[in-house]
Amino acid sequence: MITELSPEATELGQHARRALEAAGGDTLVERAEADPARRAELVEPVLAPLGAWELDVRAGADELEAAAALCRSAGWWATPYPVAERLAAPIGTGVAGLVVVADDHPRAALAGMGGTWRTVALDGGTHDATAGTDPRPARKTGFVVPLELDGSADPASPEDIALGLVLPCCTLLGMLDRAIEATCAYAGDREQFGQPLSRFQGVQFQLTEAEVERAGLEVLAAYALWSIEAGRPEVVEDALALRVAALDAARIAFRVAHQVHGAIGFCDETPLSWLSRHSEPIRRLPHGPAGTLASLTDHLGRRGLAGLFTGEEARR
Amino acid sequence: MDFDMGEEVATLRTELRRLVRDHVPADYLGAFTDDPADLEVAQSFCRTLAADDQLCPAWPARFGGRDASPWEQTAVREEMWAAHEPRGAQYMGVNWVGPTIMRHGTAAQQERHLPPIANGEVIWCQGFSEPDAGSDLASLQTAARPDGEGWRITGQKIWTSYATMAQWCFLLARTSREERKQQGLTIFLVPMDDPAIEVRPIPCMMGPHHLNEVFFDDLRVGSDAVLGEVGGGWQVVQEVLAFERVGIARYARCERLLQWAPVALGEAWGSLAEDLRGRWARMEVHARRARLLAYRVVGLQHEGQVRPADSASYRIAVTTLDQDSAAVLAEIAEHAPDTDEGRRFRRAVEDHWRYSVSATVASGSIEMQRILMARSLLATR
Repeated sequence: MITELSPEATELGQHARRALEAAGGDTLVERAEADPARRAELVEPVLAPLGAWELDVRAGADELEAAAALCRSAGWWATPYPVAERLAAPIGTGVAGLVVVADDHPRAALAGMGGTWRTVALDGGTHDATAGTDPRPARKTGFVVPLELDGSADPASPEDIALGLVLPCCTLLGMLDRAIEATCAYAGDREQFGQPLSRFQGVQFQLTEAEVERAGLEVLAAYALWSIEAGRPEVVEDALALRVAALDAARIAFRVAHQVHGAIGFCDETPLSWLSRHSEPIRRLPHGPAGTLASLTDHLGRRGLAGLFTGEEARR
Repeated sequence: MDFDMGEEVATLRTELRRLVRDHVPADYLGAFTDDPADLEVAQSFCRTLAADDQLCPAWPARFGGRDASPWEQTAVREEMWAAHEPRGAQYMGVNWVGPTIMRHGTAAQQERHLPPIANGEVIWCQGFSEPDAGSDLASLQTAARPDGEGWRITGQKIWTSYATMAQWCFLLARTSREERKQQGLTIFLVPMDDPAIEVRPIPCMMGPHHLNEVFFDDLRVGSDAVLGEVGGGWQVVQEVLAFERVGIARYARCERLLQWAPVALGEAWGSLAEDLRGRWARMEVHARRARLLAYRVVGLQHEGQVRPADSASYRIAVTTLDQDSAAVLAEIAEHAPDTDEGRRFRRAVEDHWRYSVSATVASGSIEMQRILMARSLLATR
């Protein structure tokens, strides 16, 4: 039983976080919002020396866990680049990345990104697509644009669908890491009624609520990655289960983070403002909380998630 | 990563399920009901487990165990709680009374107390909480004063589970007043058949035997009743809590009942409201989440690491799962058909709901876990 990423993957993630910080950290997303066409030039050269773009997530556990660690570090800085989607790309197909989309009106946070992208619906249907445009500024859209479908491709495997769901959840986990870290720091610094906010039990308990959600997301992400590594038949259900938990966790953690920060949390001088709004595309697409839960419920049918008991075993 | 517990654990699960199937009635809902036969099932099952080397597998071989891995121990915990704990009250002796005596007991105490626990022949109760000392345990007032070679103990305990049936009590009492209230506390191993002890049951929603008051009226014990150092009781209590860091595998019963629900409902499952099936699916996720958080704590403990925030995350997640799943299952159970299985399912869910009410209070309140976690989260601030 190994419940955490490999030490090598964890170390790679730490390197990536430092590299992104050195390249601008929180300012990367500001610069990309100002000119979405610069997203690739801002981020690709930062992660290239770490070997990010040579990873083949289908080649085995080592590379998949390395990719997951990179996505988490990208989330920490709200990195303005589709790291998870690019890492999920099937190698050798010539596509720039893989994006899970809703059946109707497929959209993704690909503003300013060139190349051909592979879209995958939860039923396995795929298309090649290019990023469209949205006249509104990226500040309003979070880089989300409609996708222009060029034609259908081969049906996706369950592994493809799972990768397309799981890696963005790792990005979201990184965003929650940072949001909670920033909120704890703020609660320690900010004084009201003559003492730091962190001394108030009402604030402390909110922080623990967010942390329980974050910790739960972390272990479920590890499990979903293992499910892909092990080639389990329930791989899509495991990924959907992760996404259900990830969306709940994000709702709770960002609610707490904003509440504790107060008005300053809405201001662009705090990282929370950027993290919060750039978490939204991951949380809304391909389906938000209700749609994701409905998909999971449909997939589970009467079986439930694979675990300690099948239905027959449960009845003794 | 690897979430597979391996063949050894799979084999153990199969064996435990066979033992439960062969020795525990299908409609068994635990030892603590109005039917004394249920208590006898538990007593008999403990002896069966002991004979099969499955009662205290994680204990060292020299104390009657078989040095099983922490994952085997986890599987035992899961299988037993999922089957409504057919070990009855004896799980406490196995989980923490015995291990604490191994660490702190004299050779004579080990010889006297460990074999009966390992053989499934003795029930212990825990004399910790008092009317004015719940979460603030160190404020307890039950006093032990020196009396020749021994001690005389006077005071009151409350919420003491299994006190009516226990042969021994693991008692925390104050032996001196010191600067800090955590000092001057001592553990005593006390026989419950002494006439100076009176037990008064407290009726409660979970059924009989769960809650009692215990009065100690000038109870005389020898110096050999002291476990560890006089005045060193608080350190022992911390170890007891460490043994219980993972505690009851509440998620296992939740998982079993959630998985049973579609089978028990049969055709009625298809006509459940979409929203209710969605809530069921979310509980399936939460049950898995609690289980994986437990595995992380077990793994860390096995490596000798203690991260209080991880333990607290697990305890908060699993106790809220207990209550949230009970609410969903109670609504689902209303749709169970009036068949033998439907009725068994409804009774099991009702029992789960009653137990779940106490989940965020029993063995340390959820607020204490939040305080511990906040301390850890904000430690460097």
